[in-house]
Amino acid sequence: METVFQSLGVVLQPGHLLMLLCGVVMGLSIGILPGLGGIVGMTILLPVIYGMDPHSAFGLLIGMVAVIPTSDTFPSVMMGIPGSSASQATIMDGYPLAKKGEAARALGAAFTASLIGGLFGALVLTLIIPIARPLVLAFGSPELFMLALLGMSMVGVLSGNRPIKGILAAGIGVMIGALGDAPAVPEYRYTFGIDYLMDGIPLVVVGLGLFAFPEIVDLLIKGRAISETTTLGKGWLDGVKDTLKHKFIVLRCSVIGVIVGFLPGLGGSVVDWIAYGHIIQTSRDREKFGKGDIRGVIAPESANNAKEGGGLIPTFLFGIPGSGSMAVFLGGLLILGIQPGPSMVTENVDLIYTAIWSLALANVIGATLSIALSKPITRLTVIPFSYLAPFMVLIITFACYQATRSWGDLVALLLMGILGWIMKQYGWPRPAALIGYVLSDNLETYLFISVQRYGAEWLTRTGVLVLGAIIVFSVGMGIFFQTKRRAPASGGEHGEKAA
Amino acid sequence: MAKKLLSIRIVFSALVTLAFAYGVYEALGYAYLAKIFPLYVSLVLLAVGLINLALEIRDKWKGVAEAKSGGTADLEVKWDMQMSQVLQKFGVFVAVIIVLYGGIWFIGYPLSITIFIIVLYRYVAGTKWHWALVAGAAGLGFLALVSKLLYMDWPEGLIKLPWPLG
Repeated sequence: METVFQSLGVVLQPGHLLMLLCGVVMGLSIGILPGLGGIVGMTILLPVIYGMDPHSAFGLLIGMVAVIPTSDTFPSVMMGIPGSSASQATIMDGYPLAKKGEAARALGAAFTASLIGGLFGALVLTLIIPIARPLVLAFGSPELFMLALLGMSMVGVLSGNRPIKGILAAGIGVMIGALGDAPAVPEYRYTFGIDYLMDGIPLVVVGLGLFAFPEIVDLLIKGRAISETTTLGKGWLDGVKDTLKHKFIVLRCSVIGVIVGFLPGLGGSVVDWIAYGHIIQTSRDREKFGKGDIRGVIAPESANNAKEGGGLIPTFLFGIPGSGSMAVFLGGLLILGIQPGPSMVTENVDLIYTAIWSLALANVIGATLSIALSKPITRLTVIPFSYLAPFMVLIITFACYQATRSWGDLVALLLMGILGWIMKQYGWPRPAALIGYVLSDNLETYLFISVQRYGAEWLTRTGVLVLGAIIVFSVGMGIFFQTKRRAPASGGEHGEKAA
Repeated sequence: MAKKLLSIRIVFSALVTLAFAYGVYEALGYAYLAKIFPLYVSLVLLAVGLINLALEIRDKWKGVAEAKSGGTADLEVKWDMQMSQVLQKFGVFVAVIIVLYGGIWFIGYPLSITIFIIVLYRYVAGTKWHWALVAGAAGLGFLALVSKLLYMDWPEGLIKLPWPLG
């Protein structure tokens, strides 16, 4: 308990607050840009946090990632284009509301729901740390290896349109991660005689190449403005009241958000659809959904903010990221010299609480800023993308070059970008590749330690067997549902996604 | 169109499978401890890749379109133009980036990216020259500021220019 309040003291220091505020402002901006979400935002910040003290860096990183699901509501409601993948379901009812002149009501409800969801996520994270501690400490390398494998198999199976492609995408990531020096012995792998590859390809390059580059290209090809002329209308307070009136929806969907965030592989792109599907299934009067029902805004928005709290749980406790942005966050932890996993709950508990307070505070600041600055922010969405693209190219090339300060960074960025673009066009899930890449080193190290310490017997440990069974089960279920899904090709969109 | 799209799919799947095959081949030559992990991973992936390739070919053979995604938004980009047109535009963009890299190699990063911004503003976004210049100056100013504040570095060109141009 003492640590909890000590961390609050750290969070409230001016230096940390300033960092948090910078993170929040960046997160709000990135959330508004369509297509760019937590992964790109986190990755751009990686070069900045080198050598920073971890508490300040947490303010920056968590401040940013916490509020992306808040501000990405603007383009969803105003124009019917998702600001990031976590806000697609919001469009279903948010956009019709805006067309009826009730954009302010939709946004008011969304921000209030986001705020409550975000705080709920932070609360669950707080409560789970002491409970999970003994379990986490019981995990050895064999279990951690299986857990990483479970995380990746779930990502692969759940995130693709064909589980096999998801597994392959994760595999591409693992192999990219295996480039360069081997963890256990002095040997360089797959370097093709290129010096640059001896240290492997840096996370910044992989993240921005796979995610930012394809997004920039696609938006340029489409060549349209984020938004047309926009009017907010009135009804902010009505929106806030709507959310408070539907407090049980908020609560239920926040629980969904935390669970989805916690499970590896689902993450931002489905959490909103699951919450939306849930609210349709559990409502008696469904006729208004899709035509501007405020509940259709509240449900996904409370879930998508709650998922960050849930996503931090496996990231901190096991070093297994729940989503793409958490994968980058994991890379950020390593840059700061923090080893996530069991040692986190013994040595760095204060950092976890700093993260929680930052998460809560960022949600409050984010929601407040979004309401206070809604007018100028709405005007931002009218800027045509071709005005932003050149600056985004500047930011990603400049950020990438900081990774090793060599030409290799720029060349690798372009090649990763081309790979990412093709993967995006042909349904290869890129988050799976990113998580595979981030986990690659850990997988190898855990496997190595397991074999060294237990020989082949590591395979017979209870934890390993249980996790192995879960992996087989989840992959099997994924394939089963996928074949079922393929049969009725034109199933209802949300019904299918809620399944 | 669908046929062409499918064939790019197949080529990409084949390339991925080939890459895993290379992964196996190359791993065979490493020291034991460096070999195990990449060897087994790429062996498994090679098998999975072959299955995937077979499925892709079967789909094309039967003329089945790809199943809808299970909810991951970033998959399945929908285009309101022909895929060949999209590919062409993608090619142009990559070419522009390569030209930008050439510029960076020759005259250094700041000046090249400034020119890049000005040119895109003028010819892609279609603004007036003075706005394009303002945008370019803003980009350069941002670079200069950030690199001073955060001790960041940029690639220098063959031709050395005074700060903040080179």
